[in-house]
Amino acid sequence: MKLQTRYNYVNLVTTIIVLLITGLVYYQAISWILTWQKDKDLKDEEQEIVQYVSINHQLPQTFQTNDQQTSFTAAAPGSVQREFINTVYFKKWDKGDGHRRHHHEKAGEYEPGRGLVTSVTVGDQYYKVLIIESEVETEDLIRLIFTITIGVILLLLLALLLINRLVLRRLWQPFYGILGELRSFNIADNREITKVDTSTDEFTELNVVVTNMAQKAKHDYKDLKIFTENASHELLTPIAVINSKLDTLIQTGNLNEKQSGLLNDLYSAVSRLNRLNQSLLLLVKIENKLLHEEKPINLKDLVEETITQLEEIFNDKSLTVACSLEDKQITGSRYLADILVSNLVNNAVRHNYRGGELIITLTAESLVVKNTGEDWPLDAQRIFTRFHKSSGSEGSGLGLTISKQICNNFGFSLTYGFSNAYHTFTIGFGSAGATG
Amino acid sequence: MPTNKPKIRNSTKSFQICFCTFKKKQLKILIIEDEEGLRDSIEEYFTGDNNICETAKTYTAALGKINLYRYDCILLDITLPGGSGMDILKVLKENNYPDGVLIISAKNSLDDRLDGLNLGADDYLVKPFHLSELKARVSAIIRRKTFNGSNQLMFNELTIDLLAKEVKVGQNQLKLTRKEYALLLYFIANKGKVVSKNAIAEHLWGDGIDLADNFDFIYSHIKNVRKKLVEGGCRDYIQAAYGMGYKFSDQ
Repeated sequence: MKLQTRYNYVNLVTTIIVLLITGLVYYQAISWILTWQKDKDLKDEEQEIVQYVSINHQLPQTFQTNDQQTSFTAAAPGSVQREFINTVYFKKWDKGDGHRRHHHEKAGEYEPGRGLVTSVTVGDQYYKVLIIESEVETEDLIRLIFTITIGVILLLLLALLLINRLVLRRLWQPFYGILGELRSFNIADNREITKVDTSTDEFTELNVVVTNMAQKAKHDYKDLKIFTENASHELLTPIAVINSKLDTLIQTGNLNEKQSGLLNDLYSAVSRLNRLNQSLLLLVKIENKLLHEEKPINLKDLVEETITQLEEIFNDKSLTVACSLEDKQITGSRYLADILVSNLVNNAVRHNYRGGELIITLTAESLVVKNTGEDWPLDAQRIFTRFHKSSGSEGSGLGLTISKQICNNFGFSLTYGFSNAYHTFTIGFGSAGATG
Repeated sequence: MPTNKPKIRNSTKSFQICFCTFKKKQLKILIIEDEEGLRDSIEEYFTGDNNICETAKTYTAALGKINLYRYDCILLDITLPGGSGMDILKVLKENNYPDGVLIISAKNSLDDRLDGLNLGADDYLVKPFHLSELKARVSAIIRRKTFNGSNQLMFNELTIDLLAKEVKVGQNQLKLTRKEYALLLYFIANKGKVVSKNAIAEHLWGDGIDLADNFDFIYSHIKNVRKKLVEGGCRDYIQAAYGMGYKFSDQ
């Protein structure tokens, strides 16, 4: 749930509850005041009756106004307890209400009323007096209050909505700006996090923290890369020296079998060390996007060349190679494309068994390299990580990592699958961004 | 795996060597390299066979030499104490010195390579390399410089037409595959030297080399070349050396 929505939700519920309570209190207060007013009127009336009786010694003529009725009934002395009651008020319609009378057979209607039961003594006769006043105005008032309350609630909701739309969104704008920056943040990227323009302290602070953090992360990452690059570079010279010394050593002649065996091992080890080192350097370069050539490459030709190049090795391992190649043009660094294709093909040969199969399919959508090999699938999660090697592999453990990086660089996807004893690597050309 | 060695298809010029020139004229080679171990090895490998090697280990020393003497080929390291090899290359080209230049650098970046070649270097070899590879490339440069693209390479009874890529023993034309042809040229450039199986494999297969650590395929490859040469009437010049390499020699 968005912060805004959550905030609005809380705000809304609170507002409604507060307004309802206010309405209720309001209603109680008003109705109390009105009842008190009515009761005062009733007492005045009672007073008048008492005065009239004490002066005239007879009951006043019962009269009826629009909102007050008085009735006298003889009663046993002392039988009446003075009290205010809530009762009904029967309102007779005047002649002007003829249309109403037409619809209803009754001569009037009942309205809520407030009454005062009291007593008066005229001579010896004890009378029960009932004064009733209509309370219809009170009801109207309450209805009005209720309407106003609802109106205010609606108005508040509208105001909230507007605030949300106009103010909150603008207030939070810097936050979403920073969020967007963070989302597009790439540690290997050279782009800095742009400063979000805001006068809100919290966001300024957040921005500063985020910017610093990003800078530090980038700095550390850069340091690490520079270290890798420098380390690899520094290694090149000693490797070059070893290599040249070995080349010189074998010229000296008179080497016995044991010595030449040792030299052979040294050659392979140096060669491996060199390949590993070159791979590390290449990885750094790809990640730094230092190989940003944009050249048209005919992938079909490239695959064919790679296969021709490795022909003797296929023969040596008695591999059956089946190719189905369609024309496919891509754009990018020829050097990287070359490495990508030969890495995948080399991989398919290295992990193959003598007399195995290699199937290469190139279509407009994908390049698929299938090969026979181990009887169980590789760990798809880990094969693309650095230095992950299947047991017994003589590779550097960087080949697939490099392939994956190159694919990312080209905007391709690289996926692994295993079915029917075939290990399959698929480069999808169209799925830019589908890979991490 | 990346490799600094270009594959066969884009490096044919590397094999264009003319052995016969070595006998007529003494060749002078300048090695500009600050790493002593490497410098010594190169010097040792190149000296003899009628070649003279001089060395320079700093920028200033190198500058002094190129301003005084002319060389058939200069092996130029880029990172030198006191300056950049690129600047030495600039001086050479500004003065229109005809020396052939082969850059040997630890920097394997396309930009550096292009910069070097644009500045007028004849070739670019990335460290580490096999001395035999270096020799093959230097020979190619010298041949181009000296003969302005003459296309005959001769070794005793062997005649190689470098443009047509044809190999003849006397009048008898041999049918060699692309790789067999490249191998023969590589051997001739490194005549009399033991060339390791690794160097051969890296030269011919480039990246492919690491996928077959037993070099059986090299053995069968060499067996084929040898068979074709001998059947064509050529002497058997290819000798196995201690199980770790081969030597092309007429002695």
